[in-house]
Amino acid sequence: MNNGAGRRINGGVEEEDDEDDVNGDLDAWERTYTDERSWESLQEDESGMLRPIDNQALYHSQYRRRLRSLSSTAARIQKGLIRYLYIVIDLSKAASEMDFRPSRIAVIAKHVEAFIREFFYQNPLSQVGIVTIKDGVANCLTDIGGSPESHINALMKKLECSGDSSLQNALDLVDGYLNQIPSYGHREVLILYSALSTCDPGDIMETIQKCRKSKIRCSVIGLAAEMFICKHLCQETGGTYSVALDESHFKELILEHAPPPPAIAEFAVANLIKMGFPQRAAEGSISICSCHKEAKVGAGYTCPRCKARACELPTECRVCGLTLVSSPHLARSYHHLFPIAPFDEVPSSYLNDPIRKQKINCFGCQQNLLDSGNKAGLAVVCPKCKRYFCLDCDIYIHESLHNCPGCDSFRHSKAATASKD
Amino acid sequence: MKFLIEDVTVYFPYDHIYPEQYSYMIELKRALDAKGHCLLEMPTGTGKTIALLSLITSYSFSRPHTPIKLIYCTRTVHEMEKTLAELTLLHNYQLKHLGPQARILAIGLSSRKNLCVNPTVVASENRDSVDAGCRKLTASWVRAMAAENPDVPTCGFFENYEKAASAAVLPPGVYTLQELRAFGKQKGWCPYFLARHMVQVANVVVYSYQYLLDPKVAGIISKEMQKESVVVFDEAHNIDNVCIEALSVSIRRQTLEGATRNLTRISQEIDGFKATDASKLRAEYNRLVEGLALRGNLPIADNWLSNPALPDDILKEAVPGNIRKAEHFLHVLRRLVQYLSGRLDTENVEKESPVGFVSPISSHAGIDQKTLKFCYDRLHSLMLTLEITDTDEFLHIQTICDFATLVGTYGRGFSIIIEPFDERMPSIPDPILQLSCHDASLAIKPVFERFQSVVITSGTLSPIDLFPRLLDFHPVVSRSFKMSLTRDCICPMVLTRGSDQLPVSTKFDMRSDPGVVRNYGKLLLEMVSVVPDGIVCFFVSYSYMDGIINTWNDTGILKDIMQHKLVFIETQDVVETTLALDNYRRACDCGRGAVFFSVARGKVAEGIDFDRHYGRLVIMFGVPFQYTLSKILLARLEYLRDTFQIKEGDFLTFDALRQAAQCVGRVIRSKADYGMMIFADKRYSRHDKRSKLPSWILSHLQDANLNLSTDMALHIAREFLRKMAQPYDKTGSSDRKTLLSQEDLEKMGNGSMHEMLY
Repeated sequence: MNNGAGRRINGGVEEEDDEDDVNGDLDAWERTYTDERSWESLQEDESGMLRPIDNQALYHSQYRRRLRSLSSTAARIQKGLIRYLYIVIDLSKAASEMDFRPSRIAVIAKHVEAFIREFFYQNPLSQVGIVTIKDGVANCLTDIGGSPESHINALMKKLECSGDSSLQNALDLVDGYLNQIPSYGHREVLILYSALSTCDPGDIMETIQKCRKSKIRCSVIGLAAEMFICKHLCQETGGTYSVALDESHFKELILEHAPPPPAIAEFAVANLIKMGFPQRAAEGSISICSCHKEAKVGAGYTCPRCKARACELPTECRVCGLTLVSSPHLARSYHHLFPIAPFDEVPSSYLNDPIRKQKINCFGCQQNLLDSGNKAGLAVVCPKCKRYFCLDCDIYIHESLHNCPGCDSFRHSKAATASKD
Repeated sequence: MKFLIEDVTVYFPYDHIYPEQYSYMIELKRALDAKGHCLLEMPTGTGKTIALLSLITSYSFSRPHTPIKLIYCTRTVHEMEKTLAELTLLHNYQLKHLGPQARILAIGLSSRKNLCVNPTVVASENRDSVDAGCRKLTASWVRAMAAENPDVPTCGFFENYEKAASAAVLPPGVYTLQELRAFGKQKGWCPYFLARHMVQVANVVVYSYQYLLDPKVAGIISKEMQKESVVVFDEAHNIDNVCIEALSVSIRRQTLEGATRNLTRISQEIDGFKATDASKLRAEYNRLVEGLALRGNLPIADNWLSNPALPDDILKEAVPGNIRKAEHFLHVLRRLVQYLSGRLDTENVEKESPVGFVSPISSHAGIDQKTLKFCYDRLHSLMLTLEITDTDEFLHIQTICDFATLVGTYGRGFSIIIEPFDERMPSIPDPILQLSCHDASLAIKPVFERFQSVVITSGTLSPIDLFPRLLDFHPVVSRSFKMSLTRDCICPMVLTRGSDQLPVSTKFDMRSDPGVVRNYGKLLLEMVSVVPDGIVCFFVSYSYMDGIINTWNDTGILKDIMQHKLVFIETQDVVETTLALDNYRRACDCGRGAVFFSVARGKVAEGIDFDRHYGRLVIMFGVPFQYTLSKILLARLEYLRDTFQIKEGDFLTFDALRQAAQCVGRVIRSKADYGMMIFADKRYSRHDKRSKLPSWILSHLQDANLNLSTDMALHIAREFLRKMAQPYDKTGSSDRKTLLSQEDLEKMGNGSMHEMLY
């Protein structure tokens, strides 16, 4: 039921936002049902009774599956941590269709916002730019940069859809920009494609080959159906192609692009990158920042080499071209390199074993593992420290904490535990 | 993998097998055991060919004392190449596992155009001129002349082949046409004649339908095939039409004019011969007195014509006296041509039976039935005597003689229809005389009688009980297989109403209704906006397609469609259509998207695949009934009703539905593929029509999709396309296994053993 409630809140907020323009032509009764979808949170059990879907269990199993698939592929793979990603958003006529509520473009905008934040959280050293396609022409909405706010603000201002879509124009534009990126950076394009055709001025196959040569990894998320050319593009450039079933699936698909991808072999050679760690400017000092060309009071960073002012980190110094980062950014990237191993599931028979007198508690939240839901297979164990955790803690540890409390406490109080045994 | 089917160990070159392939093999094996004919329907993309090949070859390995020969008939050269490629794979696998005992000889036989390696000959543009070019170099008299005069050109490859004589054999193996040509080039032997020679001893022969069905060709090529052969007709859903065409002749004014020219030329030749070499004509005369069967053993290069399905006793009869002399025969032909051209001058449509046609010939032109019967062979003999090599020039007179022989031979199952003009253009006189065969069993009967097992297989044979009646045979096995799918990758829909809820149909009284035309247009317009890449539309006829596209153009619908996708149209011109198809594919490839307008029963509907992104949706506008006012069709329906007790309506529906199934089946060519099919006509929702669709389509046609309007279809299409775009597991989940490994099969084998025991 959690899910349903969350949706209702979301829906309510949205309704207030754009009640007049986008939702205007829906009847009131239709709107409540499309937002709530109350029937979807019910299911029939064996005896034919209706009962609410057990979202929790579903969510947990999905999560476990994802974790397992990630760990199996990404065991020993070098990751590209410094990413230069262009998000290409298709603003052609097809994007205004209403098969996603309230419209495709509203859904895209909402989730692109979430994605940009998540992206910067997971890839603090990376940068993003936004390109839009409208009337068959590709436009650069924001230059590549490290500030989530500026991208989101720019995007929210420009959401009108019209005309045809042109994949080739977008790729050409992005290719032009990404060619100037230093070689250690990973060049990526994420295309959110609503249209089902592309109106191109020339041979798109050549453009795809060009992208392939310049090592741009192109991924596409389609909103309507599978298109051959998109599939071809992704295959050639090593990206992934997926098509969204509905809004929640779209969210899942777009967030899959947030964790850093495996590094491309050519770039995988270890090399040193020159970086500057700028100091935050003193409060109250007035200077003209190099990015907005405006005089600002306080808030900003000074490049250690040329003393130019930059508003946001990470970025590239406009004057001397030095990569500017802060040390917490580097630290945050660290956990991608050494992820915690996925926890093993504990068979329920083991937990229910009557011979064991002592009840097992979750090491994280100290809840009893049996009482927490009386469901089978809900406990996991860390392969290193052998501590038991409940699933909620498991998710928290892997997705937010990135450290195993069991292993860490074990390291600190080694002597204590040894004596206890 | 290898596994047991009853007592036969089957060697199958892949690690996994589809369940339907397995059951297909079981049925096939039972038919072979019973030494009977069988009729098997299995959808395309499920590996019919490899199942057939591996079972039949394995079957013949398991019975080494009675080896069976496999004769595999395909419709096109392209399919022949594909079959041979599969066979190569299979053969390599069997060699690896069975060792030298698995060695077989498999060859493909095609026309000279595809097999010739002589650069000067093969450069000619069409098949007939390649044939003639070859004859100019290889005919016995040309070679005899060359022996005296070295300036006369001959074909080096053929000379070498002749020199090698009996030593010219192919070592065992599988030869594709390409490999055969390469082998011929390397050895310096003519691949065409080598192949024709080896056909008699090969274990597997792959060739075109015509070599068995067309009596003119079958007599030469397939005459000496052993009885212990398995004949396979692949893609045989139109086999009755092929049979009928093989025995039908049409004569136009141009044919008669050409025939007259040919006759003049022949008479000049005869005069020339009389002056120089009268003895040859005399020798021919003597031969004819003795009967046609004793034509003597002519060198293989010379017997390029044979009689159309003459009963054997005719061959032994003596040629009638009035056409034994060359001049007399020419007079007879002249009179015949004159008579025919007189008949063509008619003002009305005439329809006659062969008997009714022959009697006025004998009274007006003085040619009796027996004389007519011998025309074809007599011409053949005359042309050999006159040493005519440019046979492609003489096609017209051959058509006339072909006609005469057929009319003289058959009393039943044919009719002669003379139409003074084309019905669509009554003002332009274009007389045509058609001898049309109504009985498909006539041409195929010798095949059923001669060979031990005949397998007729295709993706669309439904309703499966009608074929045995049409072809007049008794299959020991007739079954239709379903496709096992890991996901529901085909989505058939029946659309009965347009967006305004009014019924749509191409029924004669409704088809020109502007509402129907608009609804069809709206349907396509909505579909182009939700379906990616390629869409194929089939219309019931060219004239209907022209009409509806014109209306769409006037009302602006076409322009709106072009906003989303490019539009390509099939025309009656082959070159134009090929170009359109080529550009259609390019538009699909580059993501622009395209719509292809085509016609059921056209070239495109028969032979072109729209697999993967080339066809995500196929719309069948209307039910493709034949033109029911056509005289030929009416005559055939009457014959079918009188002879086989097949009702007119039944046959028409059967024929229309198999064409529709054939059209929509173009989009799905493998299990990894997916596609939607829309039957846009209210008549499809009726049970008597729908039930005649093949079972693999019917099983996916849900009841909810039987009576849709445009907006509902649109919604289903959206959902379907999204669902199909998701990644999926190819082997299928445990309860719905679609790929069987060797262990699975062994388990199944044990299970059935248990069932038998208890």
